[in-house]
Amino acid sequence: MSATSGEFVILRWNVLSAIALALVATIAAAAAAAQPQFEQLRIVAPAAPGGGWDQTARAMQQVLLETGIAKTPVVENVAGAAGTIGLARFIGAERGNGDALLVSGLIMLGGIVTHDSPVTLADVVPIARLTGEYEVLTVPTSSPLATLDDLLRAFKNDPESISWGGGSAGGSDQILAGLVAAAVGIEPRRVNYIAFSGGGEALAAIVGGQVTVGINGLAEFAAQIEAGTVRVLAISSAERLPGLDAPTLREQGVEVEFENWRSVVAPPGITADERARLADAVEAMVRSAEWRELLARFRWLDRYLAGDEFAAFAAAEEQRVRAVLRELGTGASPAGRALEPYPVLVLAGLAIFGTAALVSRRRAHRTEPANATLHWRSLLLIASGAGLLLVLAERAGFVVAAALLFWLVARAFDARHALRDGVAAVCVAAAAYALFTYALDLPLPAGALADWL
Amino acid sequence: MSTLDALGQGFAAALTPWNLLFAFIGTTLGTAIGVLPGIGPALTVAVLLPVTFTLDPVSAFIMFGGIYYGAMYGGSTTSILLNTPGETGAIATAIDGHAMALQGRGAAALTTAALGSFVAGTLGTAGLALFAPALATVALEFGPAEYFALAVLAFAAATALIGRSLISGLASLFVGLALGLVGIDPLTGNARLSFGIPQLLDGIDVVILVIGLFAVGETLHQAWRHGRGERKPVQLRRFVGLTREEWRRSWPAWLRGTAIGFPLGVLPMGGSLIPTFLSYLAEKRVSANPEEFGHGAIEGVAGPEAANNASTAGVLVPLLTLGVPSSATAAILLAAFQQYGLRPGPLLFDSQPTLVWTLIASLFLGNAMLLVLNLPLAGVWTRVMLLPRPLLFAGVLVLASLGAYSLNRSLLDVALVYGAGALGLAMRELELPLVPAVLGLVLGPMGEQQLRRALAISEGDVTVLVSRPLSAALLALAVAALVVPWLVARRRKARRAN
Repeated sequence: MSATSGEFVILRWNVLSAIALALVATIAAAAAAAQPQFEQLRIVAPAAPGGGWDQTARAMQQVLLETGIAKTPVVENVAGAAGTIGLARFIGAERGNGDALLVSGLIMLGGIVTHDSPVTLADVVPIARLTGEYEVLTVPTSSPLATLDDLLRAFKNDPESISWGGGSAGGSDQILAGLVAAAVGIEPRRVNYIAFSGGGEALAAIVGGQVTVGINGLAEFAAQIEAGTVRVLAISSAERLPGLDAPTLREQGVEVEFENWRSVVAPPGITADERARLADAVEAMVRSAEWRELLARFRWLDRYLAGDEFAAFAAAEEQRVRAVLRELGTGASPAGRALEPYPVLVLAGLAIFGTAALVSRRRAHRTEPANATLHWRSLLLIASGAGLLLVLAERAGFVVAAALLFWLVARAFDARHALRDGVAAVCVAAAAYALFTYALDLPLPAGALADWL
Repeated sequence: MSTLDALGQGFAAALTPWNLLFAFIGTTLGTAIGVLPGIGPALTVAVLLPVTFTLDPVSAFIMFGGIYYGAMYGGSTTSILLNTPGETGAIATAIDGHAMALQGRGAAALTTAALGSFVAGTLGTAGLALFAPALATVALEFGPAEYFALAVLAFAAATALIGRSLISGLASLFVGLALGLVGIDPLTGNARLSFGIPQLLDGIDVVILVIGLFAVGETLHQAWRHGRGERKPVQLRRFVGLTREEWRRSWPAWLRGTAIGFPLGVLPMGGSLIPTFLSYLAEKRVSANPEEFGHGAIEGVAGPEAANNASTAGVLVPLLTLGVPSSATAAILLAAFQQYGLRPGPLLFDSQPTLVWTLIASLFLGNAMLLVLNLPLAGVWTRVMLLPRPLLFAGVLVLASLGAYSLNRSLLDVALVYGAGALGLAMRELELPLVPAVLGLVLGPMGEQQLRRALAISEGDVTVLVSRPLSAALLALAVAALVVPWLVARRRKARRAN
């Protein structure tokens, strides 16, 4: 991967090149003033498009481009498991690459603890904390709960009767729920937290009143608050925010202050110079007017904190998250690994019906004459093509591997035309490579042919 | 300002040469990427986002809308001709569409798919324009109990696909349910059956299973059974347009598909698997000749294709009126809105009327463009069937590998697709139907999570499933879907006996 990573970064979209050219000209004119510090810069967002990390990555991309700090910043999304999949992938694929950044933050710490991740933030090079975002406790406007006091009274009375809806298990929303419970003297384990996956599921459930109270980032709820569909019971900031009529947790007697911070880190194995260069670029970015404008738009707080201070902060946060999540009882605890009824049911069903299907099939065919010839050779040809693709794609390059696969599959169906199939194989593989790499901006490994592709 | 006035102004703004150019680029691009398995509109829009930083938001969204609708058109092509659905919404289409293609009626299948998509897309967009805020309110009534009931209804519908043997249908369903166990349990954060492989923590992507079971599995099966033997080539029928009979059977299916697809698209649950399969089921149930289904019934293409596009339009309702994205593409569109400093939500229609109505008008225009683009192509695409079979199968396998790789740029996904292909071969050899496995993979986790959420909210009180009217109604429908066909069959038998 790393040998070809240079090929990955260049943003090309030839289908739209006519339009893109015009745009690039405008951007280039604006950027001409400053010498770009980076030709290419890859920003990995460890989440699907649309969420907070993706927004951060795309905001960075926009500012780095507009200020001319980087000439072609590219965002790559590697989604899954609260960012830990993206983290593992970043450490593996970008090791030693001085032109790459990974967006990270508090939720990733939660993921590392909850999923017992083999890699942690200690395995990457800290660059800087960038932003913070407050969380809000909201109820639908129609809810009988008018104030935080109402909510807490009901909660203390019968903790389980209050359902708290928010984002993924072990994330910032659940952590805040645990902190609030602990602050009012209820065991965090008794918080009836309903985890929703991203993509608006939590938002719909909270606005629709499916849960008693919602916990979420302020930015995600800004449109609803503005429209008056939800009432903010409390905000997790220290002081009231200007322009938002919402009391803080603290002024209502709950001693909790909380924000969901986001940061960027660099791959392990980079030199001190490369680290300094990345840190300088990020600092120049957060000092720009364009960045200020985006902070205001997303209601993010400027929480810029660079280098070793950030590393110390992140380490302290990891301890705090670990402690809270242990109290909440989420994540890789031995108790959580107990047998659950649903998986057992499904696996038992698979065993029963799978065996039954096998038996009934045997019985049905015992009477049949075994006249069907089975073509082992054809199947083996395809299997070897598939195996070769897996082995060769990243070593010899995609074109070679795909052409071999094509030719072997064609051989499986065809005794003659070896040459015709060979020509078709090379054409199809080359065309596919060109289509994905140049037209779709989905670069495939070039491998041995890297030099002249 | 009335809706029609607003829409008129939207058309006036959309009908500039510049905006029409973007609508054209978007629809063409969308169709092209829809044809490629594994590459969806979400990825395309994500790649295009930085290019549009300096564009006028209206033009950018016109292009994105075109990509979104266009991809749904393109998706049916590979599904019908090569039995290679690239996404879940195209599986139902493949069942009868590919059967039609093998009979040489591929052009007719593609035409009814294109016309159905147009009808559904247009009606769906009209629904979006007229009823969006009201529909959004209804969608909010759906809680975990309702989603669980919906999953039960879809399971009941799946029995219609099980075919001759109940045991083989259930075996296939459980294969899918078992695959659905893999990954993080979202309610607790615990990993299940992921064997320490980080990429498996997020579960098995349904696209992987679909490409593997259908495309790779079919190739392996053909090789295993027929090897290098010569097979009769497909005889293309002359095609000058749908016959009178095909029209008669298609148009009610388009309308039913739209009626099913649009409301289900509005629900923030995501995916077009459930709407397309409920439409397929409905077509089979109302058809005078249900035995034709699976062997090239044109309604089996017309209905699901319409449902797919109508649900695509439906997804825009919660996105624009609530700011709730219910599909991957909707999520990236939301990101695009935010990039321009716009905030979809209850106030968007009032605060950004020009943008919203121009977008809606351009969706109408894009739909018309797609029809013009795709109708003549139906005859051209069909000729793919005339390619020598070795080359066709080889091409399918290369495309499947590429599509899998492009999901996460990981060879593990390619290996998983091959594994799913081997599973597909084994299931074909055991004569297990494939579709229940796909349904199991999607519906299993959905049913389990929503049931557990519903029970957590109600503190373990099971009656919540029937005490909520919507949930009770959906469960009643599910019971009806199981019982009514049985009653009808009994009555038919009794009548025959008389």
